[in-house]
Amino acid sequence: MKLLMIDDDIGLCELLSEYLCAQGYEIECVHDGELGLQTALKHEYALILLDVMLPKLDGFDVLKQLRQTKLTPVIMLTAKGEDFDRIFGLELGADDYIPKPFNHRELLARVKAITRRIEHITSLSNTQANKLNVNSITINLAAREAYIDESLLSLTGTEYEVLALLVKNAGDVVSKEQISEKVLGRRLAAFDRSIDMHVSNIRKKIAEHNSAERIKTMRGTGYVFIQGE
Amino acid sequence: MSLSKENKTTHFAWLKHPQNFLFFKIFIWFWLTVIGTITSLVFLSNLAINQVSNEQLQGPMLKNLEYAAKSFERIALKHKKSAADILQHPRLAKRKLLYLNSDQPENSITSRPPASDIDLSLVNFTKNMSPQVIFTENFVAFGPIKTTFPEGTFYLYEIDENNQPPFLIRLKLMPIWLKIAVALVASLALSFVFSRNLIAPINHLKQAANKLSQGDLTARANINENRQDELGILGREFNSMATQIEQLIAAQKRLLADISHELRSPLTRLKMATGLAQMQAEDKNQTYLLRIEKEANQLDKMIADVLQVTRLEAKSQPLSLHKQSMQVIITHVLNDAQFEAKQSNKTLHIEGQLNVDINCDESLLASALENILRNAIKYAAQSIYIKLTLTDVINIEINDDGPGVEPQNLARLCEPFFRQSDARDRTSGGTGLGLAIAKNAIAAHAGHLTLHNQTQGGLSVHIVLPINEQP
Repeated sequence: MKLLMIDDDIGLCELLSEYLCAQGYEIECVHDGELGLQTALKHEYALILLDVMLPKLDGFDVLKQLRQTKLTPVIMLTAKGEDFDRIFGLELGADDYIPKPFNHRELLARVKAITRRIEHITSLSNTQANKLNVNSITINLAAREAYIDESLLSLTGTEYEVLALLVKNAGDVVSKEQISEKVLGRRLAAFDRSIDMHVSNIRKKIAEHNSAERIKTMRGTGYVFIQGE
Repeated sequence: MSLSKENKTTHFAWLKHPQNFLFFKIFIWFWLTVIGTITSLVFLSNLAINQVSNEQLQGPMLKNLEYAAKSFERIALKHKKSAADILQHPRLAKRKLLYLNSDQPENSITSRPPASDIDLSLVNFTKNMSPQVIFTENFVAFGPIKTTFPEGTFYLYEIDENNQPPFLIRLKLMPIWLKIAVALVASLALSFVFSRNLIAPINHLKQAANKLSQGDLTARANINENRQDELGILGREFNSMATQIEQLIAAQKRLLADISHELRSPLTRLKMATGLAQMQAEDKNQTYLLRIEKEANQLDKMIADVLQVTRLEAKSQPLSLHKQSMQVIITHVLNDAQFEAKQSNKTLHIEGQLNVDINCDESLLASALENILRNAIKYAAQSIYIKLTLTDVINIEINDDGPGVEPQNLARLCEPFFRQSDARDRTSGGTGLGLAIAKNAIAAHAGHLTLHNQTQGGLSVHIVLPINEQP
């Protein structure tokens, strides 16, 4: 499985390559934003690890431009404690973030959580096409695509996973903890807003086609996908 | 909300106490001065006759008039004609109106009947003067020339009926109320413009200074670039000072960000290398590697805390505000604290609830409370008492039964890296920044934190937070 790391810290890239190679991943490193964006657009990667502070083009700009054409999963590497950065990254369509300096075990867990889904799809597409249809939203589990009234929703990997999870459990409350564990592969930290950000992104994208409310917030507990008539 | 209210009151304050405003002082004094000057001038000029003004008659006009008077005298003598006959001769009727004024008004003669709006008696006062030009509202008279006729002495005037008096004389002839009104309006407008011109840059400066102090570093005073006076210079000096401040703060922020980035990069590599080493090391070396990892984590925490304190003190920390139940935040924090306390065989006594929603940066507020609780647990002998009360504000009181703090050190307890000399131990893993973060985090939520020793011993931390539901 091929990963792309965009970070100007060459030493860290070397160490991380070595570590992830030992875990069975193939990793390619680029050290500036411009080149990183070009590489990310040219080739297919299972996951991109994207630093925020980059020469030539910063992480947010890379993400913004990448998202115009590609939905490759992205984990942002942010400096710790900068709340603003994280929210901004998630708004732009990052799948998750890891504050620097990170723990190698934690990084591996996140990478696994996101790449695991891709393995999951390949196994699914080998079986028959599997579709869910609730309240005019169609989830194509094999192709990992979500449609509303036949039109494709352009969701990031994480947004797709969140929506699919909610649709699978349509009518039931899915707690933020469940979403975090199933989709991001980690426990929900106290006062973590990332799930809210992903849900808000999904809502925005659905509202572009149809403004009817489909995902309801259950304050303090989680979210429900409304079953409709 | 409180801000806009304040603005509203300052907007209308000048109506209530105009004497407190420089603009009004300057305006009123200047206006009064102008009014005083003008009214005294008008008054002085009106000491003279108000409807008629006169000046010495000179030059050819005087000669002509003298010549005419002489001819009349000659004709009267030679042809034995009466003054009336000479004057009312048809040849003279087409020329300018001539007027022979007699001491007996009924004997006065004109060359032809004057127009109805001409009041010839207005020239009477000049009878005993040398020849004058007399300006009245409707005509200009030239004279008198003393002329002797057989029937008596007359004073000859030539009257120009069509001649409008010159502008200045017309002004002089205006009624006094109109003069005062014009002077008032003109001076009012002038004084207003003058004082505005003087005060406007000061007001711009005030607004810019206000915005700057509220953290809008891009605020500049709106001063005309071409203004060369002291106010113009002051304005430009102020603006260059603001630019300087903006650059300094931007540089400081960049430095902070750079430090965090630069210190963290090697730390990240250190952690990663430790991870790799842990994968390959033998069991006997694992303890050292764990120790390295622990120290790296401690370093990381310290960098994060220093950055947070600096950002909070500089008020440059962006707060991510959300509406959240205070009870949810406090329950979360207390659960963790309970666990920590149990590990060191101490107990938490919690009293009261805070069922209220406040608009806050929940993780920042939680970290403030965590830091205070951790501190209390660290110094408590056995128990920590937490009292939550809700009035129109949120009150959180955290008391421990520890040794307390020497009174002279109470105020310094919230300073970064301050430690009481007798408690200078780092075994607990604190960074010495906990209370500094707590104090600043609470201040960022417009609340305040006070520390005092309880009478029975032990430190008491009292937090007051306002309830503001508006985002």
